Amino acid sequence: MRIAFAAATTTFALLAACGGPQTSQANNASANVSGSAHPPATATASVAGAPVSGADAKAVLNERHEAMERMGKASKAINRQLTGSSPDLAAIRSSANAFYYVSNKGQALFAKGSGPEAGKTGAKPDIWANPQDFAAKLQDFQKAQQAFGTAVNGTDVGAIKASFGNLQKTCKACHDKYRMEMKH
Amino acid sequence: VPRQISHGNEALSRGRADPQPVWDLPVRLFHWLIAALVAFSWWSVTYNHTRWHIWSGLTILALLIFRLLWGLVGSSTARFAKFIRGPRTIRLYLCGRWSGVGHNPLGALSVIALLLALAVQVGLGLFAQDEDGIFMGPLAHLVSSDTSDRLREIHGINFYVLLGLIVLHVAAVLFYRLRMGKHLTKPMITGRALLDPGAQPMQPGKSWIALICLALALAITGWVAAGAPPLSPP
Repeated sequence: MRIAFAAATTTFALLAACGGPQTSQANNASANVSGSAHPPATATASVAGAPVSGADAKAVLNERHEAMERMGKASKAINRQLTGSSPDLAAIRSSANAFYYVSNKGQALFAKGSGPEAGKTGAKPDIWANPQDFAAKLQDFQKAQQAFGTAVNGTDVGAIKASFGNLQKTCKACHDKYRMEMKH
Repeated sequence: VPRQISHGNEALSRGRADPQPVWDLPVRLFHWLIAALVAFSWWSVTYNHTRWHIWSGLTILALLIFRLLWGLVGSSTARFAKFIRGPRTIRLYLCGRWSGVGHNPLGALSVIALLLALAVQVGLGLFAQDEDGIFMGPLAHLVSSDTSDRLREIHGINFYVLLGLIVLHVAAVLFYRLRMGKHLTKPMITGRALLDPGAQPMQPGKSWIALICLALALAITGWVAAGAPPLSPP
């Protein structure tokens, strides 16, 4: 498991290197996930696992919120590139890292205990009431993110558009069911 | 008006007792389609059917463009120039010294406010993108992402302006019905109403002009839906 994870991270680091200096931030972020000798307890937490609490729960909630915000901004930026007549592939690759980050963190971002009980969040308690369904939806997202990640490393704009559309569908499928209105 | 004279006095006096044309079919269709589409727009966006919400807004855009054109060249009661009146006429109306068909001088203000709020709402929606960056209004690519987000927020606020005007409109219709015994809803369905003594019935517009207005409205909406591409040939 750990080897596969490290391999995936290395692969990403290699792929990300093609994207230029803008990718370094997400690259570092992914390095933090696997690079630490003593990963924090929350790194392996899951939707159905042992609950996090206190400062750990708040940290997961904040990290999730920031990751989602980044992903939303990235999605809007990619939309704009793909609507234009000549999309900037480097810009799309750079934005794509925000999706990789969430996909890579996976269930750790939705550790049990990091819901509304931990603070202000858009995550519905239903997530933790339906851990299997949520995990399946998260997996759909991860698969779509991987396909998109492959597409953005190529130059076929049609393939990028199609895979991004599929990826957005998985965002929506989860949000429609598990995301609620959150006041900023 | 020659037609009325030719019918003679008997027809004239009967005309007061019989419902006469007040609203033409385009105006009535516009009214009820807008009512249904505003409700549908609210429902679709509330229940995450954003794609339908965008199409609903575009349909409202087509209807608004049609109504604007029909308000210039349509039937007498549809024309803005006929029903938009100044403060003096509004005062006359409030004193009970105004008679006519169609929008009364006070109601005209409500009609204009509703049309303007609706136009602003649709206009904002065209440039908006959703919070998650999954959907974009057809013109959202013409502004920056931050601007598009800001316009979506104003779109959400302006909905309450629109809602307030709709509540006022329905309250006014109920007031006329309950306090003044005047039915406004039925004429908006049948197109006919009993006229005030001496009032002229509606002069209908021409259906071929209505069709041209509709074709223009659809063409402009189609262009907007396509993201307003340059009009010169590529």
